[in-house]
Amino acid sequence: MSSSQFDESVVRETDVEVEAPVESGSDVAWERTGSEHEIDQPSSPSSSGYAGEGGSTSATSASSLIEIQRDEIEEQMRIHIDEISISDSNASWIPGKRHQDEDDASISWRKRKKHFFILSNSGKPIYSRYGDEHKLAGFSATLQAIISFVENGGDSVKLVRAGKHQVVFLVKGPIYLVCISSTEEPYESLKGQLELIYGQMLVILTRSVNKCFEKNPKFDMTPLLGGTDTIFSSLIHSFSWNPATFLHAYTCLPLSYATRQAAGAVLQDIADSGVLFATLMCRHKVISLVGAQKASLHPDDMLLLANFVMSSESFRTSESFSPVCLPRYNPSAFLYAYIHYFDADTYLMLLTTNSDAFYHLKDCRIRIEMVLLKSNVLSEVQRSLLDGGMHVEDLPPIPHSGPSHLGQHIPPSDSPERFKEANHDTGGPAGLWHFIYRSIYLDQYVSSEFSSSISTRQQQKRLYRAYQKLFASMHDKGIGPHKTQFRRDENYVLLCWVTQDFELYAAFDPLADKALAIKTCNRVCQWIKDVENEIFLLGASPFSW
Amino acid sequence: MPSRRRTLLKVIILGDSGVGKTSLMNQYVNKKFSNQYKATIGADFLTKEVQFEDRLFTLQIWDTAGQERFQSLGVAFYRGADCCVLVYDVNSMKSFENLNNWREEFLIQANPSDPENFPFVVIGNKIDIDGGNSRVVSEKKARAWCASKGNIPYYETSAKEGINVEEAFQCIAKNALKSGEEEELYLPDTIDVGNSNQQRATGCEC
Repeated sequence: MSSSQFDESVVRETDVEVEAPVESGSDVAWERTGSEHEIDQPSSPSSSGYAGEGGSTSATSASSLIEIQRDEIEEQMRIHIDEISISDSNASWIPGKRHQDEDDASISWRKRKKHFFILSNSGKPIYSRYGDEHKLAGFSATLQAIISFVENGGDSVKLVRAGKHQVVFLVKGPIYLVCISSTEEPYESLKGQLELIYGQMLVILTRSVNKCFEKNPKFDMTPLLGGTDTIFSSLIHSFSWNPATFLHAYTCLPLSYATRQAAGAVLQDIADSGVLFATLMCRHKVISLVGAQKASLHPDDMLLLANFVMSSESFRTSESFSPVCLPRYNPSAFLYAYIHYFDADTYLMLLTTNSDAFYHLKDCRIRIEMVLLKSNVLSEVQRSLLDGGMHVEDLPPIPHSGPSHLGQHIPPSDSPERFKEANHDTGGPAGLWHFIYRSIYLDQYVSSEFSSSISTRQQQKRLYRAYQKLFASMHDKGIGPHKTQFRRDENYVLLCWVTQDFELYAAFDPLADKALAIKTCNRVCQWIKDVENEIFLLGASPFSW
Repeated sequence: MPSRRRTLLKVIILGDSGVGKTSLMNQYVNKKFSNQYKATIGADFLTKEVQFEDRLFTLQIWDTAGQERFQSLGVAFYRGADCCVLVYDVNSMKSFENLNNWREEFLIQANPSDPENFPFVVIGNKIDIDGGNSRVVSEKKARAWCASKGNIPYYETSAKEGINVEEAFQCIAKNALKSGEEEELYLPDTIDVGNSNQQRATGCEC
């Protein structure tokens, strides 16, 4: 972890500072750019990154095609979609396809804020987030015509803007993926989401499907994906609540160091007996993970694998053995996954290359289960679920004495700083509402619990979108990368700090004092350093790449 | 992705401009006809669900533009077609003579695995005009050409009156279905870790 201090004078000189007028519904206006040596191109970032980037192409046929009336239902639509949005994994969100009866002629279908499509390069529909694929055959053909038309000219279409809609294209051999969105997410984010959807398809089928298309362009892939609707819809849902989808890092369930060590030790034991990867997970969070020598597991693969397991109801009911492909490990071939749920939240995944290994892995699981029960790992996991992770209200003051632990509430202090903080009646010190810390070296992130100021799913989803935008702008190839960014709008103050070792994203009360906010970020970093044994999986060789 | 297996068939409609491709499709899909000529730009796409022998399937109909300037779109549009419909106007000899070009162009561009047996259907349209008095291509002549090209099924239609349109498309669906029946082998590989040159296609990107 870096020992560098994040202080106001540094921010003044080098950061991108943004203050947006309080005006609802408008794009964030960049009023001012404080820039010096650390920003390569101090040009106004108001071009918002993607406009000039990556060769956006506009096709006339497309813009007329996406002439979507955008009034009427819009409002109620938003409410509806937000209703089914954020939740921690399986909480009130019901998986599965919605609005199956719609097609491109339905007004309701046209009003949906975010569509995802998969189709073949002959224009045959493979998947649509909303509506019936077969009824959308004509629409699918249109998408293929647009892509192929541009391809014919020796070019490739990446992005079409039509009013407030963005149409993002991704071509993966014979598979075309398209997102049509009016959510104002950055192009890079939407493209990343298409990449994940393609990855999820590979998890289920591997890249071997390409061979089918090579032999026969008429090939219809839909039967091969039969029954996988919920896997895709759950992944798409996670784009609005799971930061792993844009951070490309995974997160751990907070546990005492000893508990995680105990879990890791028993996984290591069986990993030496022909298991490629052994992971113990609680929902989408890692409890422990072990890989055979030289085998490394990419965070994106973990995300897709966990989504595959959690969204398939049948894995919950009995132990299973299923072929899976890890696209970042090897997109061309299957591994075999032994999957077993210990309780409603906690599950074990053992990956092997051997298709006959079921009984061996079953034996391994029994051994693991015995150790986990004996060392109380499973009950500790449940307790951690109840306690939650880092609460911004618990942020210890600086300087502090002695090591701190999660869940240890800070005794009231009479320090002047503490006094100032009392001005904010919700959240942590200095109006801190939430933060995400991503360790670059560990490929892991930790996200705080939401303070009461961000309690509704709608607010949480909006914050994730804001982080996502922040992430994209910090990593923008055109105007970035940046080291710090301070941004104030009607919803929050957002602070981002990127170093070689970590990235910190923090959200504050919109009236938060800038100097105090910066101080608070330093305290967050110190806090994370103090408790890193509990929130991260340390010394796990599979990740040190 | 439906769990019940349904079949989607891609049908390409080709022929000179003005022979009535769009009208045929509109008559078939929407049961409508308009006397007004509106040139198709690039291609139009329509979807129709069809029942055939107790099976439900979807026709994805690609109504292409007849003008030569759009022919460069060929490869992109023809790829993966299950059936190709060649349309001419029985009152225009030129449109009939061009059928050969359309067929050959399609076979070159679409490059189907078995060109000899690729399912075509030929439609002679506009038989209603002038009570048939302005007709210049005889049915006999058309049937002879179809026979010479591997017994292509032949229909004479009036998109305006709705004559024979349903029948022609039934045949199109049947033939497209036949060609789509071949079983596809999807044979995924398994990783062999013992193999020393095991490939890690994406490698270390971080």
